[in-house]
Amino acid sequence: MTRLKNWIPWLLLIGFVLVYPMVFGIVLTNLFVRFAIFAVFAASLNMLLSFTGLLSFGHAMFFGVGGYATALALENIPGLGLMTCMAIGGLSSSLLALIVSPILVRVKDTAFALLTLALGQILFLACLKLRGITHGEDGVGGFPIPPFRIPGFLSIDMGHPQSFYYFAVAVCALSLFLMWYATRTPFGSIMAGIRDNQLRVNYLGFNIAVTKTIMFLISGCFAGVAGALFALFQNLVSPDGVFSVMTSFTPIMMVFVGGIGTFAGPIIGSAVLTSLEDLATRYTEQILLINGLLLICVVIFFRGGFIGLFKTIKQKRFANSREMPDGHPGDEISIP
Amino acid sequence: MKSSRMNRMMFVALLVVGFFIMGMPASGLAVNSSFDPSKMSDMSGFDPNTVVQPTGDTFKLGYMQILSGPAAANGELFWPVVNWVAYDLNKRGGILVDGKRKMIQIIKGDTQGKPAATKQEAERLCLEEKVNVLWGTSGSHLAKIISDVSNKYKVPFVNCLSLSDELMDAKNFKRYTFQTVSDTTQWNMAMAYFFKNRPQDKRFSILCQDYLYGHSMANAFKKALAEYRPDAKIVSEDYHGLWLKDFAPFLTKVMAAKPDILYTGDWMPDGDNLLKQARNMGLNVPIANIYITNPEAWKAVGVEGSKNLLICYQFMSGDTPQTPAQKMIMKAWHKQWLKWKEPYNKLIYAWPDFVIGQTLSDTYWLFDVIQRAGTTNPEKIISTWEGDQYGSIQGVRTMRAQDHQALFDMYVGVTTYPTKQVYPGALYSKGYAGVHKVTVIPEKYCTPPIPEGLKNRLMK
Amino acid sequence: MSPITFILVTQGIHGLAYGLLLFLVASGLTMIFGLMDILNLAHAYFFMLAAYFCYAIAGATDFWVALIVAPVATAILGMLVERYLIRRVHAFGHIPQLVLTVGIGMVLVEAVKAFWGTQSLMVQTPKILSGHVPFGPLEYPVYRLFIIAFTILILLAMVQLFSKTRFGTIVRAATTNADMVGALGINVPLIFTLFFGFGTWLAGLAGVVVAPLLSVFPGLADQVGLDAFVVVVVGGLGSLWGAFVAAILIGLLNSYGVQFVPTIAPLITFLLMAVVLSVKPTGLFGKRQ
Repeated sequence: MTRLKNWIPWLLLIGFVLVYPMVFGIVLTNLFVRFAIFAVFAASLNMLLSFTGLLSFGHAMFFGVGGYATALALENIPGLGLMTCMAIGGLSSSLLALIVSPILVRVKDTAFALLTLALGQILFLACLKLRGITHGEDGVGGFPIPPFRIPGFLSIDMGHPQSFYYFAVAVCALSLFLMWYATRTPFGSIMAGIRDNQLRVNYLGFNIAVTKTIMFLISGCFAGVAGALFALFQNLVSPDGVFSVMTSFTPIMMVFVGGIGTFAGPIIGSAVLTSLEDLATRYTEQILLINGLLLICVVIFFRGGFIGLFKTIKQKRFANSREMPDGHPGDEISIP
Repeated sequence: MKSSRMNRMMFVALLVVGFFIMGMPASGLAVNSSFDPSKMSDMSGFDPNTVVQPTGDTFKLGYMQILSGPAAANGELFWPVVNWVAYDLNKRGGILVDGKRKMIQIIKGDTQGKPAATKQEAERLCLEEKVNVLWGTSGSHLAKIISDVSNKYKVPFVNCLSLSDELMDAKNFKRYTFQTVSDTTQWNMAMAYFFKNRPQDKRFSILCQDYLYGHSMANAFKKALAEYRPDAKIVSEDYHGLWLKDFAPFLTKVMAAKPDILYTGDWMPDGDNLLKQARNMGLNVPIANIYITNPEAWKAVGVEGSKNLLICYQFMSGDTPQTPAQKMIMKAWHKQWLKWKEPYNKLIYAWPDFVIGQTLSDTYWLFDVIQRAGTTNPEKIISTWEGDQYGSIQGVRTMRAQDHQALFDMYVGVTTYPTKQVYPGALYSKGYAGVHKVTVIPEKYCTPPIPEGLKNRLMK
Repeated sequence: MSPITFILVTQGIHGLAYGLLLFLVASGLTMIFGLMDILNLAHAYFFMLAAYFCYAIAGATDFWVALIVAPVATAILGMLVERYLIRRVHAFGHIPQLVLTVGIGMVLVEAVKAFWGTQSLMVQTPKILSGHVPFGPLEYPVYRLFIIAFTILILLAMVQLFSKTRFGTIVRAATTNADMVGALGINVPLIFTLFFGFGTWLAGLAGVVVAPLLSVFPGLADQVGLDAFVVVVVGGLGSLWGAFVAAILIGLLNSYGVQFVPTIAPLITFLLMAVVLSVKPTGLFGKRQ
């Protein structure tokens, strides 16, 4: 009976997600897609931040590489399938992660953050400068979007916002699940160990450099997948849109607003910030002001983000309950 | 008997031919409609800070611009323009479409200067706000996004700000998009043609912004210059990052090349900074440009520094006689401007010239077309606008049917220091040189070729 | 003077001027980090704010009054921000601090737009400093030479401050062992706040100095902020001399880059940053992380 009770919220959620586009219009459907894409992007950053203790200030480089790889592939290779170009997005960002890993594994804390910032900027500028390939500031756009095809069975046009919604949400849900699962494995425990005490983990015999590299691969790969989806969704990738400092900073904000140190944090954060931006643009031009004030308030009053807030309320309400907190070691960490 | 009959027939024939000949130039100038200054409302209540948008069953114009972020100056600049037109037409009782009189309501769409936000806002305006037309925008990559969205949801989009050549080429052309501003080729043809009669200018330096717009401008200029002035030489060519802090290294390069003319496509604030730092460093050659038209920038470099700016644009006040419509709009706008408060009390808003005048003129054109179509049905608006010839506030505008690109005469103005007020808007004599000598570049010298894939678009 | 020498020297002076301007901004940033372990991402936005203050004050009075008043006003605002916002999150580590200072930066940008609009504004170069100095076949603007001279003066004053005054001694002691200084009865939090104000004051000076050179607009902070970061990282977090050397290096790389390798010039600074971080993460002169 209890097992079924645990499943009900999930079933309701799945049901909600399934009927969402039919109930709400195109604009809100697209809003949800944006939320999902950024949830994956923020979660990929969170793998490094909350679970390995590394703050990446240039995560847009993976997002952007994934996006551009997909866009350029679709622009230049005719007849490319949908899943193929998604794979190209994920693989290219993994390749980038592999290339930069050797430099990144050697540093931590502030130096790591600044190094990722520098690398992110280098990629941004390179993208702007290599005008012959990347079309510079204008970006790559107007490429054909392949339909979702099961050969001989069906073919769904991805230009339809509703169809794309289902595809994107499926991909995002799968990505989130895979990332969540990774934190649950023994590998996830090693990651947490590196975050808490790198020296000790080293003494225990684990190869830190290799572990970190795998971590970067996973994180970079999923950021690239998010980027590929973004490219398909927008039908445009531009340096300012996918490689800028703001693009790097957005997932950091999302993780923080949602709740640092948790897996659900980035997802909640993405939901809050995406909706907030949509609301804000309808009524005001001072979007930066609202974002800025939100950040300041969250930092000062709600360090644990929305999840922290929720937990505080839950604790206060159920102060007398004998329910044990539902958690898994490594699920929550003290704020670094 | 026979001879007198012959004489009479001859006379009649001559008469017919004579009328024909006389009629030809008249038909060449024949426009479908014109801006009528006498019909303009009393604008004394107009203040962009306090405009109230009508509600209800209105005609909705979606104002897609950069309204937030570092480049928000762009969105601010044209807000008075669209609202002026709306206020004017609303005061006349609104526009007659779909059988009733509707007021014009301006709805904001903030592109934030970013592609993602542009798509989101364009969709919101089309699907939720259900605008009848989209108006925009600064940033050619953003214009492309709006064009895609507007075409998907069948909403007409008037691009009166983005110079891109790409937007209306064969690959990207969209039926619902119309471009009333010159494209890069057109503009540079006019600029280069201006130098045809200045053989003393042989050495040209190019300094543009290092992104697609800057490169397209430079390439188009080089091409047009090679055609109109094969003897001219490009002695230096550089591209700088956007919002550049220090132009000095670039200016030293330019000065070392010893040019006669410095060419730039820079817009705010780069154009203003370029002027300031160039004059500061002692680079006093004429600057061929499009957007260095901010009187604040002219003031900052003084009379000597602001002389010899060669500004090319499709709307300009100068020593050529202003049309009655131009005179009237200039006076009416300036009279209101004197009452406006922050941020519209800045000098750049004082006279509706250059890009402000052009967008004003184009917005009137847009609504003239809509009223002639008499409907909000996009198909009718498209068919009315294709091939349209309109007498705008300054000059005739033709909307080329195949690629929806507007054609017109261009103007190149040279800033000099006038000794007396010559025309309304020539108040620039307060401590800086203003546009005074204007050369008209007739349309035929600055008509871009029709893109190959669109030549037969309308043939059945 | 042959043309090529002339170009080398002119670009060199440009690089020096820009580099020293960067140094003014970066010095505050690096010293605040060195002493208080605060990485203030809003630092460049105070620089921008001071430029706006300069526009307002110079418009009403003149540039020299602005040079005195505007940085002080910026510093006061900086101290308030430190005392009531940054200090509250200091104990929670670097990330909340990063997020907070970014939020503050955003609010500052919106604030200047609310007060001064979005258009770029012009500040006149003061009369004494406009004009040129004859230099080879051409002339060099006096104002840029002023920037060089002024910044070096400020640097020398700072060196005096830290080595000769009591305040400077306390600050240097607190950098090594803040607890001990507190145990000696000195009000360390107050010193910290004053020092934060001092760092912000330096950024404010830079803001006033840059205003006549350029125009004043909301995007002023963005590029300078990143460049200042590079200076701080390359020079070494916490090292004043490191910032000085790095700033001049980057200024020179910038102008020579534009002259000789224009296509990749913007990339050079970040490549340098990446190389330094990979090889010697503490920076050229840095001691602590």
